[in-house]
Amino acid sequence: MNQCPVHFIQHGKLVRKQSRKLRVGDIVMVKEDETFPCDLIFLSSNRGDGTCHVTTASLDGESSHKTHYAVQDTKGFHTEEDIGGLHATIECEQPQPDLYKFVGRINVYSDLNDPVVRPLGSENLLLRGATLKNTEKIFGVAIYTGMETKMALNYQSKSQKRSAVEKSMNAFLIVYLCILISKALINTVLKYVWQSEPFRDEPWYNQKTESERQRNLFLRAFTDFLAFMVLFNYIIPVSMYVTVEMQKFLGSYFITWDEDMFDEETGEGPLVNTSDLNEELGQVEYIFTDKTGTLTENNMEFKECCIEGHVYVPHVICNGQVLPESSGIDMIDSSPSVNGREREELFFRALCLCHTVQVKDNDSVDGPRKSPDGGASCVYISSSPDEVALVEGVQRLGFTYLRLKDNYMELLNRENHVERFELLEILSFDSVRRRMSVIVKSATGEIYLFCKGADSSIFPRVIEGKVDQIRARVERNAVEGLRTLCVAYKRLIQEEYEGICKLLQAAKVALQDREKKLAEAYEQIEKDLILLGATAVEDRLQEKAADTIEALQKAGIKVWVLTGDKMETAAATCYACKLFRRNTQLLELTTKRIEEQSLHDVLFELSKTVLRHSGSLTRDNFSGLSADMQDYGLIIDGAALSLIMKPREDGSSSNYRELFLEICRSCSAVLCCRMAPLQKAQIVKLIKFSKEHPITLAVGDGANDVSMILEAHVGIGVIGKEGRQAARNSDYAIPKFKHLKKMLLVHGHFYYIRISELVQYFFYKNVCFIFPQFLYQFFCGFSQQTLYDTAYLTLYNISFTSLPILLYSLMEQHIGIDVLKRDPTLYRDVAKNALLRWRVFIYWTLLGLFDALVFFFGAYFMFENTTVTSNGQIFGNWTFGTLVFTVMVFTVTLKLALDTHYWTWINHFVIWGSLLFYVVFSLLWGGVIWPFLNYQRMYYVFIQMLSSGPAWLAIVLLVTISLLPDVLKKVLCRQLWPTATERVQRGVKHKAPVQAAQSSDGPLLKDLLRQPRRS
Amino acid sequence: MTWSATARGAHQPDNTAFTQQRLPAWQPLLSASIALPLFFCAGLAFIGLGLGLYYSSNGIKELEYDYTGDSGTGNCSVCAAAGQGRAPPPPCSCAWYFSLPELFQGPVYLYYELTNFYQNNRRYSVSRDDAQLSGLPSALRHPVNECAPYQLSAAGLPIAPCGAIANSLFNDSFSLWHQRLPGGLYVEVPLDRSGIAWWTDYHVKFRNPPLVNGSLALAFQGTAPPPNWRRPVYELSPDPNNTGFINQDFVVWMRTAALPTFRKLYARIRQGNYSAGLPRGAYRVNITYNYPVRAFGGHKLLIFSSISWMGGKNPFLGIAYLVVGSLCILTGFVMLIVYIRYQDQDDDYEE
Repeated sequence: MNQCPVHFIQHGKLVRKQSRKLRVGDIVMVKEDETFPCDLIFLSSNRGDGTCHVTTASLDGESSHKTHYAVQDTKGFHTEEDIGGLHATIECEQPQPDLYKFVGRINVYSDLNDPVVRPLGSENLLLRGATLKNTEKIFGVAIYTGMETKMALNYQSKSQKRSAVEKSMNAFLIVYLCILISKALINTVLKYVWQSEPFRDEPWYNQKTESERQRNLFLRAFTDFLAFMVLFNYIIPVSMYVTVEMQKFLGSYFITWDEDMFDEETGEGPLVNTSDLNEELGQVEYIFTDKTGTLTENNMEFKECCIEGHVYVPHVICNGQVLPESSGIDMIDSSPSVNGREREELFFRALCLCHTVQVKDNDSVDGPRKSPDGGASCVYISSSPDEVALVEGVQRLGFTYLRLKDNYMELLNRENHVERFELLEILSFDSVRRRMSVIVKSATGEIYLFCKGADSSIFPRVIEGKVDQIRARVERNAVEGLRTLCVAYKRLIQEEYEGICKLLQAAKVALQDREKKLAEAYEQIEKDLILLGATAVEDRLQEKAADTIEALQKAGIKVWVLTGDKMETAAATCYACKLFRRNTQLLELTTKRIEEQSLHDVLFELSKTVLRHSGSLTRDNFSGLSADMQDYGLIIDGAALSLIMKPREDGSSSNYRELFLEICRSCSAVLCCRMAPLQKAQIVKLIKFSKEHPITLAVGDGANDVSMILEAHVGIGVIGKEGRQAARNSDYAIPKFKHLKKMLLVHGHFYYIRISELVQYFFYKNVCFIFPQFLYQFFCGFSQQTLYDTAYLTLYNISFTSLPILLYSLMEQHIGIDVLKRDPTLYRDVAKNALLRWRVFIYWTLLGLFDALVFFFGAYFMFENTTVTSNGQIFGNWTFGTLVFTVMVFTVTLKLALDTHYWTWINHFVIWGSLLFYVVFSLLWGGVIWPFLNYQRMYYVFIQMLSSGPAWLAIVLLVTISLLPDVLKKVLCRQLWPTATERVQRGVKHKAPVQAAQSSDGPLLKDLLRQPRRS
Repeated sequence: MTWSATARGAHQPDNTAFTQQRLPAWQPLLSASIALPLFFCAGLAFIGLGLGLYYSSNGIKELEYDYTGDSGTGNCSVCAAAGQGRAPPPPCSCAWYFSLPELFQGPVYLYYELTNFYQNNRRYSVSRDDAQLSGLPSALRHPVNECAPYQLSAAGLPIAPCGAIANSLFNDSFSLWHQRLPGGLYVEVPLDRSGIAWWTDYHVKFRNPPLVNGSLALAFQGTAPPPNWRRPVYELSPDPNNTGFINQDFVVWMRTAALPTFRKLYARIRQGNYSAGLPRGAYRVNITYNYPVRAFGGHKLLIFSSISWMGGKNPFLGIAYLVVGSLCILTGFVMLIVYIRYQDQDDDYEE
């Protein structure tokens, strides 16, 4: 990134350099479609008026074009030489991350006059990361470079992420460390208590050497302590870390291999940038998603219009492509009357005229907004993508907007005649009025006012038209997530127009309260309108985005949308992707409301509304989804958020924050709009460190999402159109938003159950392994005698019991992939680290202790005072240890076999194979005198043991006793308190044929199962 | 561990059952309907086995006698008192008289048992040199350091066999005498002292060093016997196949016991008239009392035991099988009740 070439102006010459050589004060030239290499003060462009258009899609997600203005006094410098001769100084504030704020001033020196001072604002600032559009080239002077650019300041440093499983693992490890130390301590103390009798410390048959006797008591005690530590150190499963790493590394291949997550269109598959967080995918409680490019395709599409209650649908969209032959109209209702036809044409003209779209003649292929009929090949550009979509949509309905020339708007009507309208006034859009108007004069001299705006701002001003029909249609469309606009008109007579002119003029020239006066003037002008119709534009959602969000919500995950986009746009998307539903009551926490009331009041009011229902709000299944429950959605904007986050002077800073969190928790969906990148990260952080410490996941596709991707527990990048910044900085990258569903519900779930079993099993098998050693110390005079042979000690974790659990942790599927996908509620079964809670951990540890007791005392009673062979010979201590060890290896392996639900041939091979390996190894290890060993204590021990009938019987008995409680617990729990997972497992088992007949998109299995059972 | 699969490029992933995690699999479910019959079957099988084991164990006879010689417990107390506080204790002998009212079913095995003797103490159990015991001449001269303080004699000679285990070799000896008729003559019962050690230990693991000029004594020349021993190792027995390192008593002793109370096989009684067992009558065991155990609070016992296919008397296994078997049946019933009751609830729930 530091290497990409940049054009500099040096001494009036154009020089190419690498961008890392860029210094503050350098003058840079940027060409169309290039990205700004640093934050620039805009000096001049090749456009005469000193403007340029940029798109900041990679900064804040808004793909619309924005106009920036060159500094007044320098906009005349068009050539390298001119610029080279410029002499000016710039003062500006320290770099700060807010994208929309900038304060500075420029002193331009000329030879003749005094220096000219000009203020600089954010309209003069071109941000690094933004792209120059529709402007051939610009010159600018670098003011912030490198890490001081606003984009860089909005980056989050990449920090080490650790999964919740790893954290529990470490907690468990500390417990075991304590157990280890206390075991060693207990044994050391007991040893010295026991040895206080001299005949025990040094009986005649076991004398010490002179040097041993001389040794200091404390030194001896310390050595003993260390020796016990060494003896019991296997209880700390070092091999677990190796296995976990291996499991994560190998397991993450399943994501990259997954065919379902491969996108045929782009030829991209999922990427795994870190394998440390696989299991975290199964623990997600909050999803923060970007809107533009993540939920939506970032592609506006004219869907339909409704004129006087008749619905018109332009021929549409096939796989995102507009069909070229689609010039006709699909009429849904019957053909309108003649009068209707007039209205219809008026409506289309209104759409053609009432906008601020610019036309760019362009023969080269550029961007997605090419006009549908290739011949005209003009590109519409506007700061509002909706307007572009509307103009394009009308074009498909037969009216083509050609251009604005000499204050005349030209359009091509259905009969291919050019109509010219004189543009008299533009009453521009603002977000308070939420409408805009134009006043035009037709060729016949009639003056029209066309007004276009949000339904809520149009309907009150309408005096005529089929309001009810249109309102119904608009509401229906809004619910479907379409962005609706209403169109109205008014015919003006000359006198009226003159009155309006005066009014506007007066407002425009006012020196004080100009804004307010203009607004008042607009208010007066835009009234008594006649409603024409409504339009519906769709920001096309990504394929299956709504389905994905619905599934994720069913899985108990809260989905938040964080976007830099406008509130209206974002809200429409939220409706479209079913984040907000028809019955969702929206709570607004926006700048507008806060201006009216104080933040304090708004927050308290909201929390009252929300909490009124919290009495009945249970955390039970489907509570957030059921139709009769009141469902809340919160909308908050960036400014309001920063007010909430801002610490107050009186020290009660967390007060609002807590209240805000409380409100958020009660809302089923939250939409945050107008967010700066860093604010996105702030939100994530706020939730991440709230008192429940939920696991968060951020998904986004642009550079503006990087900071939140880095902040969240799991960051997912969508490999999108806006570059690969997000994908590069993410932990996982997916081609489409819909892949998130399989990623979490299937892969995440699997990884979680796999690794949690892995962790618990490892602790369990090491308790089984070491606790008998501990018990043995009580019978060998606390002398650190090992129970097992060195080879067994070494190989237990490495080969006898390692492969089955590794393969389990790679292959296990407790429920089928299809079932998991179909029934997202199963995800709740593993939520909140359910399989690694302390309760479960203690169960496993107690099971390990019980098993160890069984192994040890089983063997103890077998060997006590008797012989177990038919030839009367006696076994020694190594046979004792080998018996314990054999029972243990079998128990531990069979315990895993009991837990395995998914027996592929690999599982069979590995489980039975490792048992076989143990037997073969033992036969071999004891069958030969190994010349490299200086002891032969295992010689024939194993074989002798097998020659004894009772040893076989004991092995069978002890393995059975060890497994019995676990089997009992499993069966009883399954019968008495089955989890959703277990119900489904049973269901799948019983109704296998039903399931086979099911398509994967069918209804929930659970619903299906109830029917046959009844009969 | 960070890595990326970009190298795979734009190629479609392999569509194999393995990569798509769709390998055919058997998916068993541990539900009550499977577990119930399993529990009942296992329970019945275990109870059957347990009964067999229990009666089998009950059929085994054992006769034991504590000859430690605590004061007032038979005539060995004299020896015990004589040996008190003297190392090595003076030779002493005592006897144990017992009578059998009926035939002691054979084959009969004679064991000795020591209590409170920590053969499994780590320092003790490593104090041996397996290389030396396998007859390696170099190891004979240079015992390993683990043998200390029984590595070298006071004169600096290597001890053979070195180490604490060998040094503490059990050196009491027993002979059994049978009086067929009351007041009759005691006849010595032949004790078979062979075959008491593991075959592999006796034939493979323990080897004498190569003979020098056909003499075992010369082979051990330059070594010292363990300090507690009265005889050098090559004089443990007059039988050339039972002396040196391959003396069966020695081999038995060298297999260290697992627990501080342990038995070791002393002899088998299976010759002549006694192959079917010990006929009824009065018996006397002559005991050469050498081994001091009272110093560490231990006891010495003599045991006659018959042997079945499952070894000596051990009621544990039978009882354990019975208990586990009944537990299985019991839990089976509990689960059956739960299963039936739950089934109703389940139907209710599903409605």
